[in-house]
Amino acid sequence: MKWLLAALFLAGAILVITGPPWPVPTAKRAVFSGSGRAILPMTFIHNDHKGVSCTICHHEFVDGTTGLSCINCHLTDPKVSDIFETQFHDLCRTCHMDEQAAGKPGGPTRHCAACHLPDNQF
Amino acid sequence: MIVLAVIVALTFLLTFAGGSHVGAGWFWDTGNALGFVALAGLLFQMIPYARGATTRRHEILGYWVLGVGMLHAFWFLLGDGAVWTYLRPGAPLAMWFGLAALVVLAVLTALARMPDRMRVHRRFRTFRTVHRVLGFALVAAAGLHVMLTGYYLGRWVQDVLFVLLVAATCLGRSRWARLGQAPIASGQTFVALGIAATSAFLLLRNLPW
Ligand code: HEC
Ligand code: HEC
Ligand code: HEC
Ligand code: HEC
Repeated sequence: MKWLLAALFLAGAILVITGPPWPVPTAKRAVFSGSGRAILPMTFIHNDHKGVSCTICHHEFVDGTTGLSCINCHLTDPKVSDIFETQFHDLCRTCHMDEQAAGKPGGPTRHCAACHLPDNQF
Repeated sequence: MIVLAVIVALTFLLTFAGGSHVGAGWFWDTGNALGFVALAGLLFQMIPYARGATTRRHEILGYWVLGVGMLHAFWFLLGDGAVWTYLRPGAPLAMWFGLAALVVLAVLTALARMPDRMRVHRRFRTFRTVHRVLGFALVAAAGLHVMLTGYYLGRWVQDVLFVLLVAATCLGRSRWARLGQAPIASGQTFVALGIAATSAFLLLRNLPW
């Protein structure tokens, strides 16, 4: 039992340092905006969100603050840069959870890799 | 054994309380089910009871709880390339509580290992105090980890019921004494109950209904 636990712990520690032994699509942090802060890439395709009104996400269309991209502004504006992750997770995952709870196809609710791999689609 | 089965069942039922059955795909749900199995085992271990001759059973089950807790933590790193960010500064508070719970559990287990325990704590009373304080810190950290994550326990009804479950299992020495004998369960029982609960959890959350 003692050795089993020690082996499990060791395996976990190695896992933390080296990553899993098989290939897993892995996102590296990188700089995507003018702010210089490295973040995980985002998978977001407008076509998956045809039914959603633009302004639910693009609050800048109504605020009249267009010009910067979401990420650029949210990372540089000190008012929101500290809660960047919370705000975006709330926006994206809450809607996906609500859709799913309503029995409709929603997007990913937890699986990080579904939202954090680079994509080249609009 | 029956007591453990009831606690496992209640813990898993809680995640569905209020009609909540969001799932995050089989991989993610499996990892989190492991977490709830560990949590249920932890609550069972917390039952205040002078265990006397059955202390050895309590000790052995403790190793299983630690093992399942570690599996829960490591599971996600195996299949998701972004989780490592939660081991870096800036991770959400809920994740730090999770990590803290695991560390406290490991320390608590190591300090209680027989026969080394006798050497570390010369007096039984000091051991008991340390063991209790660590136990309560552990339950608090693990509970906050689950509640602040707010996924499976996302409704306030669930949080209230969860706090009640924690109180019912961790407190009330005189009430538990009415059992007549210390509640015991083997590692095999724990694993079997865990597999059953995990399977039900996975099916209910991932079949379309
Ligand atoms: C529904 C999609 C979605 C899911 C699922 C999701 N995220 Fe995010 N996350 C985002 C978006 C959008 C942002 C903001 C844009 C960005 O960081 O590229 C973000 C930002 C973050 C940030 C802050 C940026 C940084 O790199 O410091 C972290 C950390 C993060 N996510 C980690 C995770 C982890 C870990 C998981 C899995 C437990 C996860 N996310 C799941 C959509 C998601
Ligand atoms: C579910 C949220 C969401 C909805 C709905 C949405 N967008 Fe976006 N949009 C985004 C995100 C996030 C980005 C940044 C994409 C990136 O960096 O990959 C973006 C980027 C854009 C851009 C590029 C410039 C910029 O601001 O970054 C345009 C233009 C745009 N969207 C237009 C629209 C229009 C028009 C609609 C409605 C038909 C719409 N979007 C609906 C989330 C949304
Ligand atoms: C020009 C800067 C700017 C741009 C562009 C911008 N935001 Fe924001 N956003 C802000 C600020 C500032 C706030 C805080 C508003 C407040 O507190 O009144 C905010 C708030 C939010 C919130 C939280 C809203 C709430 O009700 O709590 C979300 C979610 C959000 N933005 C998402 C986005 C998305 C998605 C985009 C791109 C599609 C985007 N933002 C583009 C500056 C911007
Ligand atoms: C208001 C609701 C809503 C918001 C906000 C929203 N989504 Fe979605 N998203 C959906 C729905 C609905 C689907 C499912 C579309 C389908 O499968 O038909 C979806 C699907 C997805 C998918 C998966 C598509 C696939 O191939 O399965 C990704 C990735 C995604 N969303 C990312 C995001 C990110 C990132 C954000 C935040 C910037 C976001 N979504 C915000 C409603 C939303």
